[in-house]
Amino acid sequence: MASHAVTLNDAQYEEQRDHRLLGFLFFLISDCIIFSSFIFTYLYLRSAAPVWPPPGVTPADLYMAGVNSIVLFGSGATMHFAMESFKHDKHLRFYWWMMATILLGSMFLGGQAIEYTNLIHENTLWTTSIYGSSFFSLTGLHGFHVFIGVCFLVVVLNQTLSGTYTKTRYFGLTAASLYWHFVDVIWVALFSILYVWR
Amino acid sequence: MSHHTDENHLDGGFWRAVIVMGIISALGMWGVVVFPIENYLKEAAQQAADIDWLFRFMAFFSVPILVYVNGFIIYFVIRYRTRPSDSIQATGSPIHDHSALETWWTIIPAALMLALGLLSYKVLPEYYGAQAAAVTMEAIGHKWDFEFRYPGLAQSVYNDLYLPIDVPVTMDITSSEAQADDAVIHSFWVPEFRIKQDMVPGMVVPIHFTPNRLGTYRIICTEFCGIGHSRMWGSVHVVSQADFNTWFATQQKQSANGGPKVNVASGDAGAGQALFQQKCSVCHNAAPFDQRKVGPGLADLFDDPQHPALVDGKKADPADVAEILEKGYTGSMGSMPNMQANGISSTDIANLVAYLKTLHK
Amino acid sequence: MAVVEVSHATSEHIHPPPETFVQKYVFSFDHKVIAVQYFITTGLFFVLAGLLAELMRAQLAGPNNHVLSVTMYNQAYSVHGSAMVWLVIIPVLTGAFGNLIMPLQIGARDVAFPWLNMFSFWLFPPAGILLFGSFLLGAPEAGWTEYPPISLQEPAGTSMWCAAIFLVGVSSTITGLNFLVTIIKMRAPGMTWTRMPLFVWATAVTAFLSFIATANLSAALLALFIERTFNVPYYDPSRGGSPVVWQHVFWFYSHPAVYIMVLPAFGIISEIIPTFARRPIFGYKAIAYSSTAIGLMSFMVWAHHMFTSGLAQWVQLPFMILTMAIAVPTGVKIFSWVATLWAGKIRLASPLLFVLGFLSTFTFGGITGIFLASVPADIHEHATYFVVAHLHYVLFGGSIFGIFAGLYYWWPKMTGRMLDERLAKLHFWTMFVSFNATFLPMHWIGLFGMPRRVATYDPVYGGTNLFISISAFVLGASMLIFAYNALRSAKHGELAGPNPWGARTLEWMIPSPPPYYNFDRIPIVLAAPYDYGQPLPYRDVAPEYLAAVPRF
Repeated sequence: MASHAVTLNDAQYEEQRDHRLLGFLFFLISDCIIFSSFIFTYLYLRSAAPVWPPPGVTPADLYMAGVNSIVLFGSGATMHFAMESFKHDKHLRFYWWMMATILLGSMFLGGQAIEYTNLIHENTLWTTSIYGSSFFSLTGLHGFHVFIGVCFLVVVLNQTLSGTYTKTRYFGLTAASLYWHFVDVIWVALFSILYVWR
Repeated sequence: MSHHTDENHLDGGFWRAVIVMGIISALGMWGVVVFPIENYLKEAAQQAADIDWLFRFMAFFSVPILVYVNGFIIYFVIRYRTRPSDSIQATGSPIHDHSALETWWTIIPAALMLALGLLSYKVLPEYYGAQAAAVTMEAIGHKWDFEFRYPGLAQSVYNDLYLPIDVPVTMDITSSEAQADDAVIHSFWVPEFRIKQDMVPGMVVPIHFTPNRLGTYRIICTEFCGIGHSRMWGSVHVVSQADFNTWFATQQKQSANGGPKVNVASGDAGAGQALFQQKCSVCHNAAPFDQRKVGPGLADLFDDPQHPALVDGKKADPADVAEILEKGYTGSMGSMPNMQANGISSTDIANLVAYLKTLHK
Repeated sequence: MAVVEVSHATSEHIHPPPETFVQKYVFSFDHKVIAVQYFITTGLFFVLAGLLAELMRAQLAGPNNHVLSVTMYNQAYSVHGSAMVWLVIIPVLTGAFGNLIMPLQIGARDVAFPWLNMFSFWLFPPAGILLFGSFLLGAPEAGWTEYPPISLQEPAGTSMWCAAIFLVGVSSTITGLNFLVTIIKMRAPGMTWTRMPLFVWATAVTAFLSFIATANLSAALLALFIERTFNVPYYDPSRGGSPVVWQHVFWFYSHPAVYIMVLPAFGIISEIIPTFARRPIFGYKAIAYSSTAIGLMSFMVWAHHMFTSGLAQWVQLPFMILTMAIAVPTGVKIFSWVATLWAGKIRLASPLLFVLGFLSTFTFGGITGIFLASVPADIHEHATYFVVAHLHYVLFGGSIFGIFAGLYYWWPKMTGRMLDERLAKLHFWTMFVSFNATFLPMHWIGLFGMPRRVATYDPVYGGTNLFISISAFVLGASMLIFAYNALRSAKHGELAGPNPWGARTLEWMIPSPPPYYNFDRIPIVLAAPYDYGQPLPYRDVAPEYLAAVPRF
């Protein structure tokens, strides 16, 4: 549409960025509520159940998830370094940190795929018990977010390479980074209540 | 622009209006105090009087709030209406705050709420507080019947609950077994007792009450539970201890005999038809199998090449149909209540079988 | 390319005026066009949901009636409730009134994200089609609350219901965050928080509730849909799930939703009373802050809908106390509104009439709310016609009266033409009397033993129900007066001019209907808007609008 052709002056850009940043934060808050809703459901079902996990269920493996968590938290760190590099105009470093983030994010998804395969192998499905329904919907919802995050990172990396972002105008990158850290923080909660709390 | 001060407006007319509203409030409050709730809804359990007292308390203080809010609206609109003599640009008082007034109309309602909270808190334990109950029994919601289990009675009682007067009861409230895939939430309400508890599958909630007035009262389901919800009614009979003992002994004897036998050959199809319209048609059409309501259509029950067998796998003959009517059945198609649940007698079963046979051409 | 003249760095939108029909009227970015789109669609849904209500009343006119089959009756009230809540009251108050008025009142040229605004509207007609289309596959029957496990056993229409409400929820979430960013970031220079019109305050709190609470509903609907479709146990008790979880999660949304449905109406009331009393609103800060308090507290009272669900006593108590506490800020508002009428120069025009109707009925609904807050009393009243009466006093007597007050008030601004005052007053009196005749007796029959959601009832309630049904038909017919008035105004309505009521908020400082960019120059705000008798507190407003002379 024609509106994209409008070039913004600095004041206009800053105003628009402010709006988008605030809007994006509100979006993250409401996304957080979606997780909270499923977390509440899980905690309620778990507290109401006579034994946990329900009989006949093999829960997910803590050590594998631990390794996977380190991968995801590592990607949070690399994302942070990528943003710092970008702000200091170190584009080559930015590129490698971003690649590392995307790689670690994909590794996390791969790890989750292996974990799911193992569970399905042991007949722990999301239809078989309230453990399965809570576990798969929470980690699945989170995995979906990681997947969207990886796509988001690929897009903004591509846009950076094609010169969309400048030293003063890089809202897309900020958003991608915020989203990635958000997904990390959610995982801290999920990892604690799903794996660590036995 | 005219000068406005509080004094201009808080004149004799204002205070007269306040007094008139005060008188109307007082009349209303007096009405609340003397209103004979008992004439409209009996108080038949111990806590009913407390609930009604709480209700009166709330209504008592609601009256002045309603009267003064509506009264001031009417009074201000009449008194401060724009008159033809007013300039088109005339404006009202510029006063836009009055901290003392605002403080009071925050504090007084807050205090009333606090009082109400404390009073409610005092009444609440009557439902949930553990009491030394003389009778501990179970109430189980089914589609669409109330089942009651008494200690010492082998079979359940359906829809007609008998309780001895002045004996504390603890009733464990639940819905039909959580394993049934058509279990739903019901609710057990006895308006005359002022008690209500949702019957949630998988949960057992004990409630406590003491019936203290002889008579027969309604049991009503208040949680939507399917097509039969509108008519999911029962009765609670509060009787003397002696009458209760007699009734209980009869029930025990019946369970020992296994109940009277059904003579399927002796049915009256006309009576069966009337009964079918009244009871069975909630769930079944008198039409071919596929025209389902809750259960299948029953027109071809005795001769349907597609469905030769009954839901229990037996061949459809009058004795087996009568058996299902008598004992009920729970299976892949859902639940068919038994004869106690449906409130039908052995004669009724015979009549129904006779009627169902006439449907098949 | 159209060049936007910018007099201040803030608050101009950057897309050019649309040229084609589709850009102008269908996929428009303009908040005013989107508002009209919301008005038209919600109006249509209001008619459909209202007709369902009339069908229900026809069935209930006598005991053992057969106007509808039991199943049809159950579907009718479920879709009636869902549609009135999600397709009428919430979108008309936020999508329609919020879009039409809020940007004008803060002196902005549009909302922060016009594209999202359009997107959010276009989620809404499909939701309506899904909800009303669910009749084809067997509409939901368990009421607008759709408690499992029975909602798990219903036919496919309930999945359509989930999808419909999910779409409305996403729409509502997006609108909420869009509005809140707009209000925080795009107020005209000089418009501090305490100079904001009270409708904007109400919209801000509503927007906050929308994107917080609605996300939670979306999650619950997703879970219900997954459980129904893939047989994944969350709520099914036979497989370890708990039906009570749904109740918690549903009401954690739906109690704030009650305030989403009523706070904007409070805002409308707060605008109209000072305009027609010709004096400042009494207790501006008390009203603004009590809206905020109500908004925050609304997240802490949800379990008062579940007092008979088997909650532990220690859970019931705090919810009871907080529910009673929330009555205090609501009372403060009502008293402040009444005090605004005191010593005014009252012009009893139709918007004010509807406001007074609102005050009367909403006060009553609020008080019965306290009756329901007290746990022991609620145990008796829960799920009876007392609740039906209470919720209609709040949502019809409150929200719908507020909506009509707002319609009569802002109709001239939206269309540029006046509505006929005599027809408006006829509409008010028929609606007010028939409303009370319909819903007041329901308190009575509820307390004495008539449960809600029943297609038939004990014949002792027959007479009362017949009276209710007749009143309900009159109530429905009263809407025809408004429809006629609205159609009539398009051709015969007097031209309104920019400020027919002599009001002082910014939307009245520009022509009616407002031009595409709203404001030639963004005005500078010098004070709060309600000081009647003082000069208008704006700079950079065209001089001809500054002399606010009411015509009534």
